[in-house]
Amino acid sequence: MSNKKNNFILEEYENEFSYKKSKTNLNIEFNRIAFIFFIFLLISIIYSIQLLHLGSLKKTVNKNKQTITKKNYRADIIDRNGNYLVKTVDSINVGIHPDKVIDKKHLLLMLNHIYKNKNLSEIKKKLNKKKFFYLEKNIRPQRYEELMMLGDKSISSEASLMRLYPQDNLFSHIIGQIDNDNNGISGIEKFFDKELKRINKPLKLTVDTDIQFLIREELLRFQRIFQAKGSAAVLMNVNNGEILSMVSLPDFNLNKRETIKDVNYINRITKGTYELGSVFKTFTIASGINEGLIEPDTEFFDSKKSISCGKNHNIQEYDNKMPSDLTVEQILVKSGNIGSVRIVRKVGIEKHKSFLKTIGILGKIDFDISEVGRPQAIDWYEGCKLETIAFGHGITTTILQLAKGYAIIANGGYDIKPTLIKKNLDKKIKRKKVLKNDVSKKMNSILRKVVSEGTAKLINVEGYQVGGKTGTAEQVNNKTYSNTKINTLASIFPTENPKYVLVVMLESTKNNKEYIYEYRDGSGFKLKGSPRNTAGWTSVEAAGKIIDKIGPILATKYIEN
Amino acid sequence: MKKIALATIFVLILATSLIKNSTKEMEDKIFILNENIRSLKVELGEMTLDYNFLSSPDKLIEYQSKYFEKDLIKIEIMKVKKITEKNNLIHISDFIKKTNNE
Repeated sequence: MSNKKNNFILEEYENEFSYKKSKTNLNIEFNRIAFIFFIFLLISIIYSIQLLHLGSLKKTVNKNKQTITKKNYRADIIDRNGNYLVKTVDSINVGIHPDKVIDKKHLLLMLNHIYKNKNLSEIKKKLNKKKFFYLEKNIRPQRYEELMMLGDKSISSEASLMRLYPQDNLFSHIIGQIDNDNNGISGIEKFFDKELKRINKPLKLTVDTDIQFLIREELLRFQRIFQAKGSAAVLMNVNNGEILSMVSLPDFNLNKRETIKDVNYINRITKGTYELGSVFKTFTIASGINEGLIEPDTEFFDSKKSISCGKNHNIQEYDNKMPSDLTVEQILVKSGNIGSVRIVRKVGIEKHKSFLKTIGILGKIDFDISEVGRPQAIDWYEGCKLETIAFGHGITTTILQLAKGYAIIANGGYDIKPTLIKKNLDKKIKRKKVLKNDVSKKMNSILRKVVSEGTAKLINVEGYQVGGKTGTAEQVNNKTYSNTKINTLASIFPTENPKYVLVVMLESTKNNKEYIYEYRDGSGFKLKGSPRNTAGWTSVEAAGKIIDKIGPILATKYIEN
Repeated sequence: MKKIALATIFVLILATSLIKNSTKEMEDKIFILNENIRSLKVELGEMTLDYNFLSSPDKLIEYQSKYFEKDLIKIEIMKVKKITEKNNLIHISDFIKKTNNE
């Protein structure tokens, strides 16, 4: 009996057990999933950490890579049509560590075998000094291989860069040079040094290689014909200030990497400041029209052949046959000095000074290369300064500023900034109007007459409606006027709706007795020998031939612009 | 409910790792392509430099005088005409128009 009782108790326990068992089962299931989830979480965390770590590693590697490349990097320079003006190519410099040389005699013997035509006495001296020196910079691959084949531990190499200039001299004054440490030392290379080391695409300039070549060829020709000491020409878009060509002669071959010390190699467009003579009469008349004081048909009667001003200063007409009664238009067409003086006196010092400042003639111009000249400061109240400035004496400026001034007068009176850097045309730049509405229209018409009837007839190229003004000025040497001349022509075309300004300057020209001039009036008349050493017979002829050559390109290639 | 949440998390983790993996493969492909483009760009640059040198105005003038001196003639731009078509009619005009003040 007692056994039966015991059995009963066991059953009760069994019930309790089964209840507990079911509860425990559920827990185990949940824990398993939680465990798996935990494992996945752990794996994913480790994976993420690894990814993050790798990501950060990659960044550091990239950064290091960039600094290594940037050290030996310099962006290429291209013209407006994408032609290379400067191309960077990788290069190698090879040097010797004298302290690592084991057998000097053997090394010199080997070097003598490789450099057959080189004097090795200098290398011998350098080897004795025990200081690292470069054996050869920008070495040819073949020679590099030969040197490395020597297996000498003292010979080491380093990556370097070399700039190649496929156009040799053509853009020397614009591009400039770099030193051995990849630093720009002149021109665009200096002014945009930081950008060239940073930007990942080529620097695009506004210049056109074909036009630059044609202008340079003509300038070289006329420099020879008139035995000029130097010459310069600039072609600029009057509406946006883009420079299509900028030539200054003499120039130099960039591939030769020479140090230029001769001052005759000055950039005559941007650095040289000159008294430019009668080309300033255009500014005098434009100033008067802008102030509303004169009109092209305003008459000036009874002008004397000479007038005095200041202390014993006499201003004369260059031509005694100059009529005494002239309209404003005739004053510019005939290039009258006295007429210009009478106009500037009407305008007054402050207004004329302000006008010249507005069109950018006074002060240093903000430009894209470092070689920029500063026009001489003027004491406007000294003697007869205002009067001489009326016809371009006693005032200096650069050829670039002269071109800017003419561009503003021709383009409707809008301010422009001459530039060599091609900018994105999508961005519409709001132009600032600095001259009154009618100034351009009146001035363009007068400038056209200077070419068709006045002193610049030799530039009257059929089809291009050229307008312009000549300027013959005696050159200042050691603060006194000399016999040498600066002959300048400032022109705009087409005068109906000006697009370009072309300034041509020839320095220290001489008459040529053999040169044959062909008149452009349709008569077929030819003249042998230059009658006078003035701009009308030198710079104008050169500019006419330049327009003959570049005109078809401008008319076809840039017809949309 | 918990099972669904856990399953979702599991699927998301799986999907993330799969996407990460495929992204890595794509990155590798992009890297290889970029490297190939880089070398092609270098080659193109060198070719363009050669082309620019050989077709520079200086060289072209040299070739002209060497090979085409008699074949190439200069045409006056004033003699060049422009052909335009309007309403099935062909109109010929001067390329550069003369104006009154010419």
